Amino acid sequence: MARSTPSLKTRLLVTLALLLLAASGVAAWALDSMYRDLGLRSRQDVLDAQVIALISSADIDVEGRLVPENLAEPRLAAPGSGLYAEIVSSRGSWRSPSALGSGLNLAAAPVTGERNFEYAKLADGTRVMGLSLGIRWVLEDGSSRDFIIRAAESLEPWYHEVARVRAWLLSGSIVLGLLLLAGLAVAMRIALKPLHQLETEIADIEAGRRDLLGSGWPRELAGVTGNLNALLNGERKRLERYRTTLGNLAHSLKTPLAALRGLIESGQTDRQSQARQLDRMQEIVQHQLKRAVFGGTGATMTDLPVQEALEQLRGALAKVYADKSLRISIAVAPGTAYPVDAADFLELTGNLMDNACKYSKTEVAVRAMPWTSADWRRPGLVLDIEDDGRGIPPSERTRVLERGVRADESVAGQGIGLSVARDIAAAYSGTLEIGESRLGGARVSVRLPGR
Amino acid sequence: MRLLIVEDEPALLETLAQQFRTAGFAVDLAADGVDGEFSGKEYPIDVAVVDLGLPGKSGLDAIRAWRKADKSFPVLILTARDSWQEKVAGLDAGADDYVTKPFRFEEVLARVQALLRRSGGWSQPLLKGGGVELDTRSQEVRVAGIAIELTAFEYRLLEYLMLRAGQVVSKAELTEKLYEQDFERDSNTIEVFVGRLRRKLDPDGERQPIETLRGRGYRIARD
Repeated sequence: MARSTPSLKTRLLVTLALLLLAASGVAAWALDSMYRDLGLRSRQDVLDAQVIALISSADIDVEGRLVPENLAEPRLAAPGSGLYAEIVSSRGSWRSPSALGSGLNLAAAPVTGERNFEYAKLADGTRVMGLSLGIRWVLEDGSSRDFIIRAAESLEPWYHEVARVRAWLLSGSIVLGLLLLAGLAVAMRIALKPLHQLETEIADIEAGRRDLLGSGWPRELAGVTGNLNALLNGERKRLERYRTTLGNLAHSLKTPLAALRGLIESGQTDRQSQARQLDRMQEIVQHQLKRAVFGGTGATMTDLPVQEALEQLRGALAKVYADKSLRISIAVAPGTAYPVDAADFLELTGNLMDNACKYSKTEVAVRAMPWTSADWRRPGLVLDIEDDGRGIPPSERTRVLERGVRADESVAGQGIGLSVARDIAAAYSGTLEIGESRLGGARVSVRLPGR
Repeated sequence: MRLLIVEDEPALLETLAQQFRTAGFAVDLAADGVDGEFSGKEYPIDVAVVDLGLPGKSGLDAIRAWRKADKSFPVLILTARDSWQEKVAGLDAGADDYVTKPFRFEEVLARVQALLRRSGGWSQPLLKGGGVELDTRSQEVRVAGIAIELTAFEYRLLEYLMLRAGQVVSKAELTEKLYEQDFERDSNTIEVFVGRLRRKLDPDGERQPIETLRGRGYRIARD
């Protein structure tokens, strides 16, 4: 079993969900790293400020250590406050009361004037960031001594904050994404509504509740619905034609059948009477079926090069009418093409040219040119087929076109060609007119509209 | 006249063969396209009647194959599909005329005769040569306005010579064209028939409508 193609909706939603996921991931990552950058810098600023405060309040004590005279920052005085400081030198070091027992152990020992940030861990596992600054202290006697001033701050509260922000970002983007997807689903529902409508209408046509699709489709669907309606119309016309043909066929075959049966049952062996009924039946079959076979649905139509088709017919007819030594001239405007089923076009022009050849003395003229109108995207076609025969008098023209419409009325032998041609033209919403030719015989003009 | 019929429906093939034989043709038969193509290429055919809807190789293909092999005998196609597309396809492939099914035999015969006449260079159904008039439609023969009664074979012989009026026709050619492929041939028979024909057309020996060219064959002058 073939896997069914996912619906348009599913395709769109899945694609958009993936896009959203990627976009919100990138956005969250960018926000997060920006926040971390800013946070880190402000941590560093705090440490910088602490170190400078320590220097400004420090002085050399009797033991030669550098010691802050008072602690402006109360956190330095409270043990485990999270802010720690120490000043180390070769002569001994000072540690803030807060650092007592904390196990603060910063490794960096920068030379004078250098500063160094580092991450470290306290004895209890608290993660801290430390700043070490190397300074040279000039004594009153002119000698100098080197110290390293260190400050460290616990990063735990900040990490905590980062985690909180991350959680907020994550849930925020999930909620936003879901809202967007829901909005998209609604938008899609609105956008795809005409498709649902189309589906319903087609189902209605299938069920016989309506004949054609309605109007007022969005531009993107108008082409499809227009073609569909053309197809439906063509099929309906064809069906009607089949029905009429079959009805006529059955109806008109009954008479000769009855006659034949009568002849046989009465024991008559008059061959001529039997043959006459057979001829009658053959004629009926030919007339009726010929009218029913042509296509004209619009589904199989490509632009047919008119010149080529007419040349083909000329070649064929020149053979069939070889005895008459006819002159068949074809004049087609260059590049003339018409969207038509090739078999229909050959049938239409074949019948008309055949008639012209049959009734002409020596000359047959065929002309074709495009028929343009502002309303049509593809031009129509005008065909003129003329001969120098005896022509068709105006009083006969209607009758000639009606010939063979009902088998009962048909005239023996020939003459169905014109009415078949007229039917084909009508299947393309075109017209067929009989007039007089400047050559002296009949002129048949066919006008097939464009689309 | 030697005629090839290519038709897959046995009943129709038999009927046509019989009708054409009655009309004075030597008839070769083929029941499919492959056979038909072979016969058309190998036997001295004057005209062929070909059904388009054949099993295996189509009638169209057989016609194309003949034309490709430079066989120029006229071809009449029989088609059940009465559409111009079908007709154009057949005539394009190299056929010369068409008849749509169902048909009357008279129609087919008339078309075949017209094709033969045309291939012999006659544009009218009335052939005139050596003071003899032959109407291919009614199969009537007249000399100086008087109708002449001929047997079927005599008519065939005269028609063949008349269609090629002005040309020399050898005895071998006549044997080939007037007898079917499995017929036992004897060129003496031809001489006998020509002699009979001469006596019927020219009982007094005044006109000499059929010339004998010793060692080459016979000729009727074109009027």
